Amino acid sequence: MGERPGKGEGLIPAQYQPPLPLDKLLVSVGAPGAGDRMELDVLIVGAGPAGLAAAIELAHLAQRDGTELNIGVLEKAAALGEHCLSGAVVNPRAFRELFPELRDSDFPFRAPVRNEAVYLLTADSRWRLPTPPTMHNRGNYVASLCEIVRWLGEQAEALGVNVFTGFPAASLLVDGARVVGVRTAASGLDRDSRPLANSLAPNDLVAKVTVLAEGTRGMLSQAWCTWQQVTGENPQLFALGVKELWETRQPLDTIIHTLGWPLPSDAFGGSFMYPLAPNLVALGLVVGLDYTDGALDVHGLLQRMKLHPLFRRYLEGGEMVEWGAKTIPEGGYYSLPARRSGAGAVIVGDSAGFVDVPSLKGIHYAVHSGMLAARAIFGALQAGEASPARLGEYDRMVSESFVVRDLYRTRNMRLAFKDGFYRGGLKAALMTLTGGRLPGRKIAVERDAEVERRLTAGASPGLDLVPDGKLTFSKVDGVFKSGNATRDTIPGHLIVGREVTPELAEFYARMCPAGVYERADGELRVNAPNCIDCKATDVLGPRWTPREGGSGPRYKRM
Amino acid sequence: MKIAVCVKRVPDSETRVKIASDGKSLDEAGVKFILNPYDEFAVEEALRRKEQAGTGDVVVVSLGPAAAQETIRTALAMGADRGVLLEADRVPVDGLEVAKALAAELKHGGYDLILFGKMAIDDYNHQVGPMVAELLDLPCVTAVAHLDIAGQRGTAEREIEGGVEIVEFPLPAVLTTDKGLNEPRYPALKGIMAAKKKPLELKRAALGAGGLEVLGLTPPPQRKDGKVVGEGPAAVPELLRLLREEAKVL
Amino acid sequence: MSEVLAVAEQRDGALRKVASEVVTGARRLADALAARVDALVVAAGPVQGADQLGGFGADKVITLTNPAFGRYAPEGYARVIADRARAGGYRAVLFAASAGGRDLAPRVAARLGVALAQDITDLAFEGGAVTVIHPVYAGKALLKLKLTATPAVVSLRPNVFTPVQRPKAGTAEIVAVDAAAGRVVVTGVKAAAAGALDVAEASIVISGGRGLKEPANFKVLEALAAAFGGRAAVGASRAVVDAGWRPHADQVGQTGKTVSPTLYIAVGISGAIQHLAGMRTSKVIVAINKDKDAPIFKVADYGVVGDLFEVVPKLTEEIRKLNG
Repeated sequence: MGERPGKGEGLIPAQYQPPLPLDKLLVSVGAPGAGDRMELDVLIVGAGPAGLAAAIELAHLAQRDGTELNIGVLEKAAALGEHCLSGAVVNPRAFRELFPELRDSDFPFRAPVRNEAVYLLTADSRWRLPTPPTMHNRGNYVASLCEIVRWLGEQAEALGVNVFTGFPAASLLVDGARVVGVRTAASGLDRDSRPLANSLAPNDLVAKVTVLAEGTRGMLSQAWCTWQQVTGENPQLFALGVKELWETRQPLDTIIHTLGWPLPSDAFGGSFMYPLAPNLVALGLVVGLDYTDGALDVHGLLQRMKLHPLFRRYLEGGEMVEWGAKTIPEGGYYSLPARRSGAGAVIVGDSAGFVDVPSLKGIHYAVHSGMLAARAIFGALQAGEASPARLGEYDRMVSESFVVRDLYRTRNMRLAFKDGFYRGGLKAALMTLTGGRLPGRKIAVERDAEVERRLTAGASPGLDLVPDGKLTFSKVDGVFKSGNATRDTIPGHLIVGREVTPELAEFYARMCPAGVYERADGELRVNAPNCIDCKATDVLGPRWTPREGGSGPRYKRM
Repeated sequence: MKIAVCVKRVPDSETRVKIASDGKSLDEAGVKFILNPYDEFAVEEALRRKEQAGTGDVVVVSLGPAAAQETIRTALAMGADRGVLLEADRVPVDGLEVAKALAAELKHGGYDLILFGKMAIDDYNHQVGPMVAELLDLPCVTAVAHLDIAGQRGTAEREIEGGVEIVEFPLPAVLTTDKGLNEPRYPALKGIMAAKKKPLELKRAALGAGGLEVLGLTPPPQRKDGKVVGEGPAAVPELLRLLREEAKVL
Repeated sequence: MSEVLAVAEQRDGALRKVASEVVTGARRLADALAARVDALVVAAGPVQGADQLGGFGADKVITLTNPAFGRYAPEGYARVIADRARAGGYRAVLFAASAGGRDLAPRVAARLGVALAQDITDLAFEGGAVTVIHPVYAGKALLKLKLTATPAVVSLRPNVFTPVQRPKAGTAEIVAVDAAAGRVVVTGVKAAAAGALDVAEASIVISGGRGLKEPANFKVLEALAAAFGGRAAVGASRAVVDAGWRPHADQVGQTGKTVSPTLYIAVGISGAIQHLAGMRTSKVIVAINKDKDAPIFKVADYGVVGDLFEVVPKLTEEIRKLNG
């Protein structure tokens, strides 16, 4: 178990983080600055599984009822799925409920899980562990979230939903305490934010209800919670996952999870390797952002991990076809905001924190939460009032659903690992055996940014690996494989805090998987166009803000 | 002004090229398709000319598979008025066949301008535009990077090696567009909504066998591993020696 | 008798370098066919260098003249070339895939009613037909095509078909033709930059990236280019073009130009894959970068790790000495 640095010895990221730019994130409706204005019945921010599920269920309900609903979904990526990334092994139950007339074979999944294995890794060996009950995946499917989202998008558009890709929502439009819509980001600005010849002004979209389905660490969701003073019992915690997709020579027929090496014992996380097809393998490493070694670099650890015989066996001679990264909300039950609905707005999916870390599941919770939100919204629209009481039906439905039930059962499991791998492991085992009853009381935690980081050099296992370009790759190569072709001259979108020390610059450089931050001549250099919107920076470093639509990665089968 | 713009649906330039099992074509699994970037300059130019003239009609024509409707809709979202898809399962390798089909469609349109992108980013062929011009017996200027039109006469500038050629031509004419001509507009939200309702006609393309046959599609030859000759300015003499004696390029 | 027609490009009364490349390519094809090569020049009057084409394998050099042809006239040129190709019953017609050639070849092919294989990097005669190689998908793949019609019309990528001198010299004739320029008229040519050689044409390209630190520092590369004595051009990576340091005409890679020089020197360029796509087919690649782990070193044939502000001036000095 690692040592926590004493106060004052290390670096506390929170001290350098600028606050949430609420003045930009909350705009009074009618404020100048927008070009076009569009009115909708329901506006959904984010075309991920939660947002699209909400759109589809709303369209279904309207269709059955014979009413017409004008539903719009805003997506910041240039095309559906391009900013979506997950493992993934999906529980089909939420899909079955969303599409009762379809069969499992109609869903955009790759293959049912046949074999699974969990290993504890050491630097050159592995120990097979019995699969923890929370991780049994029989009946689930290996899938690509990009493929799921593209398929959901087709279903939504066939139902008449308007999906607008390339339009990031930059601010909430508010009228008093009510959310009335969003304002999108401008396009076509140069690096000094001056309009270029083809610039597009922001658009205002107003609607009776706005659904915030922004995914992990959503900006508007954070703004809404701060503004409405809604918190969870614990702050939300995050992990960073870096993922690669490989075409392999050696076929894989088992879903694999590992714990232990290459993570230091005081870092929470593990790896996954899933076959989308026998020779198309998704693998990644997920690490909690409360790691205490300031030099930890998740991308670097993943590169090193691939050299382990377990992974090497499959990857040797193959080709990395995609690379990406994304954060995952890990706080579970106690980090859920006390309410996820209010006047004119509801929050669904990862933005609300509906992810169960012990089973590594979030997609079906996202879909289900989107569906329940749609039902509550439809009811409210029928009654002619999108009031907090009406929309609060969504909270009630979610609390009574398997979403919250599942999260409650594992409510302390992730948190137990704050004590390190071994103690945490014991506690987690106890929780599993007792169905969550022991130890039962909430484990209080601090925000990831408040955790102090050791700055001793070389504390992490062999990060400084020179990439060989065959099995291991640099961050720049990774960013290229993410499909990122962001215009080099767009305005910077990252808000850096007060003076940045060389140590802080080094910490940021390690933290960011995309090489956005570099320590150059003792100063921080920011390569903003590299950013792939994983949001790790927003959790631990400079604040992330939305930028021109279509910027960022272009995931295809992640 | 009556303007026709011919567009092509192409794989995104960042596409990783995987060759299909037939050894002759691209494996399309996971490939994203977009409106050919050079065609965007053509669409933008058409929209600007129509806006300047105050009145007119911009039709977008494409030859391609059914999915090319989406490509046409992108152009409609930018502001074009209507679209025509000449549907073909595969775009012929022979540019002349494509040109014949397009020319047949455009022949009686009475267009003041017919615009193309100078080349497609998949086949790098630089030919369909001028071929259509020949078939329609219309004047043509390729790779236009600057354009002025006054009444029925136009002046174009095109990049040539070491300079810029200034070319005059009468309307009606065929032009192919190059980067630098304009900055294509981003489709506005309202444009995207409106595009769904604009007319898009589907016709079956009539294509001949053509005069080009694909024998194979292969990856480029692997370069053999290079070597670092040395460090700093001290390595320069050795570098020069190798360039002269080994690589024989000096 | 099947002959090969090589269209030799001239500008301002002098043959361009690509002309010898096209004749070389034509000769190679003609040898496989046991045929003759006719080189065809279209101009306002006699063209400087035309008679040298015999030394590259042309059996006959025909210069078609008309006062209207002083400058490139697409319609006029296309008509006379197509007429000559048809009348001569040629088996193949070759152009350079230069800016002019890429404009002219499709017009001629359409007039003749045959397909055009544009921008090829290899040419052969196999199984009774002309076959070619054409790079596609930004050079990420090579397409092998068979031309089934006659004549086979192709355009050759500049700097690929290295001119090969032959001892045999051919005959030359100048024929005045009755022609008009056509509706499309070139009224002038503006210089891009005084005497600057185009990156797509130069046999030596020196490209600079962000490692140059500032736009003004490109003069270090310009000095090196000058030391090569008119054969070298300065190119730029996408990053510096997008940053506005260099004009788009200099950009190598992706939406910039594809170049295929004999020697490509990448200075202060890390080796992002977009850039590599543009220079992948260069014969020899040299990289100069201070980061020994820069990806460009994996692609380069020869690399020097060091500070470019020290290495490049040293290289410039040595090249000057070499060139006397």
